[in-house]
Amino acid sequence: MLPNERDLPDEPPPFLGAWPRVYAAVVLYLALVIAACYCFTRFFA
Amino acid sequence: MRLLDWVVLVGSLTSIIAYGLYRGRGSNTVDRYLLGGKSMPWYAMALSIMATQASAITFISTTGQSYVDGMRFVQFYFGLPLAMVVLCATAVPIFHRAKVYTAYEYLEHRFDAKTRALASLIFLMQRGLSVGLTFYAPAIVLSVIFGWPDRLTTLIIGVTVVVYTVTGGIRTVTWTDVQQMLIILFGLLVALITIVHMLPRQVSLLDAMSLAGSAGKLNAVNFHFDWNDRYNLWSGLIGGMFLALSYFGCDQSQVQRYLTGKSIAQSKLSLLFTAVAKIPMQFFILFIGAMVFVFYIFEPPPLIFQRIEYDRLRSGEVRTQYEPIAARYRDAFTRRKQAALDIVAARHGGDPRGQSDALSRYRQALKDVDGARSQGASLVAATGGERGFKDTNYIFLSFVTRYLPAGIVGLVIAVILAATMSSSSGEINSLATVSIVDIYKRHFRKGASDHHYLTASRVATAFWGAYAVAFAGFGKNLGSLIEAVNIVGSLFYGSLLGVFTLAFFFKRVTGTGAFCGMLAGEAAIFAAFSFTGISFLWYNVIGCVVVIVTATAVSFFSPAASATPGTAS
Repeated sequence: MLPNERDLPDEPPPFLGAWPRVYAAVVLYLALVIAACYCFTRFFA
Repeated sequence: MRLLDWVVLVGSLTSIIAYGLYRGRGSNTVDRYLLGGKSMPWYAMALSIMATQASAITFISTTGQSYVDGMRFVQFYFGLPLAMVVLCATAVPIFHRAKVYTAYEYLEHRFDAKTRALASLIFLMQRGLSVGLTFYAPAIVLSVIFGWPDRLTTLIIGVTVVVYTVTGGIRTVTWTDVQQMLIILFGLLVALITIVHMLPRQVSLLDAMSLAGSAGKLNAVNFHFDWNDRYNLWSGLIGGMFLALSYFGCDQSQVQRYLTGKSIAQSKLSLLFTAVAKIPMQFFILFIGAMVFVFYIFEPPPLIFQRIEYDRLRSGEVRTQYEPIAARYRDAFTRRKQAALDIVAARHGGDPRGQSDALSRYRQALKDVDGARSQGASLVAATGGERGFKDTNYIFLSFVTRYLPAGIVGLVIAVILAATMSSSSGEINSLATVSIVDIYKRHFRKGASDHHYLTASRVATAFWGAYAVAFAGFGKNLGSLIEAVNIVGSLFYGSLLGVFTLAFFFKRVTGTGAFCGMLAGEAAIFAAFSFTGISFLWYNVIGCVVVIVTATAVSFFSPAASATPGTAS
């Protein structure tokens, strides 16, 4: 750990309560986007 | 361009720059000039990050890419949200807490001065090459539209960007980026609505999508794995994630954006917003290209979209070779149009057999159209044009200037110029920052006054602007510009990603190990580029892995060179 590395606190996110939950939501979102793109490709192919 | 186009173009660009200069006033210390006094809200950083990444190349070349190759390029961005999550959990808090001006400054904290210097030089080389390409794209626009020489166009845009970047520093860059991004989104929406509105009355949006899909233009996802296939789900997820990790985690042009944040949380939010917004935005741009393709099913497109070469083929000695190709092209176009209208009529009339029959005629005609276009491109190359000629970068602009109504043309041109300015200003600003903080201040002039470094930063900004303008013509022979930019980036990013991965996660690796690892990583990437057909998206993975393995091995066998943190300036 470098000097000053703990000087700045990591504030909680404005929604979902904790950063890991926000990260999980982004990953879930990605999965849904890929699924939507797949359906889009299949439907119009 | 008509008067209304000029009013829209000049009005929007002038107001953007004036607003940026207004918001950038008071940038009279190095901290405010380079990091905006760490006062930026998350939405400004997010839009600035997106605007810096979305250059004119994004709009000119991506739409053309979609016209030619379909929407599969969108997969390139699938790894981006994953990369953003990783960066939010690692790089963002580390950089903020280390209180650095540049990402490479952190490498001296963690390793030593030579590792920081090498990483800085790799960044300067990579970004220095790319910034020329960023300027070249709009030069194409204006050379096609007005016949202006590329050099003059580049010079005018370059001087404008340099003046406001030198004057206002990163605050002006960020706030102009915000306005530019809003103009970009608005302009794209208007362009798409206009294109769909211009389709034949009997062709609905759903019909248009069906025609594009039948031609393989809506191929957004491909699950088939192939090392040599540039865009599939796996290269996008894995290779794209590594590229995004490199770009957003190790490229100062992006890192500097989120280092301006008020807090760690604000910086994280800016990256996560980009993670959520980027894929839909790219999908939208590619979709516009696909709709331009559909538009040209019903309106005859030129055989070659690059007007100068097209005119050359139609006149002079080449004409005798051009005419038979053009005749085949016209015939194929007519058959394709008729088959498309038959498909639409069969769809509306509920006639599956008629639809199937029309579809097979449509696909045959598509092949013939593509074949004639390939022959046309070959003819250009064989009769004195550039080798491997492609007109991908001219498709969208050719369409815009020929078919869009007054006002919309000006708006689209404003979008393209705004994108150029937002990207290049961010790049120039970051190049200047690294030059001053990591090279000049660290190795040549320690301990000078704040005013001295502020002046030096402004001089460096002007220098990099001049450099970018001077090397803008580099992109002329690189085919699709959007690919060229990403290929150039991939040649260098793997090593940078590798060294930052070492810095964050490998506590036992030494400075010498990291330094040797970066050299080995670069060697491996250039070997892959020169001697294999591996897709460029994998270069980042290869480079990163080679850096980690080499650095770990060197550190293991030379433990005496311990990882003593240096003293960063």
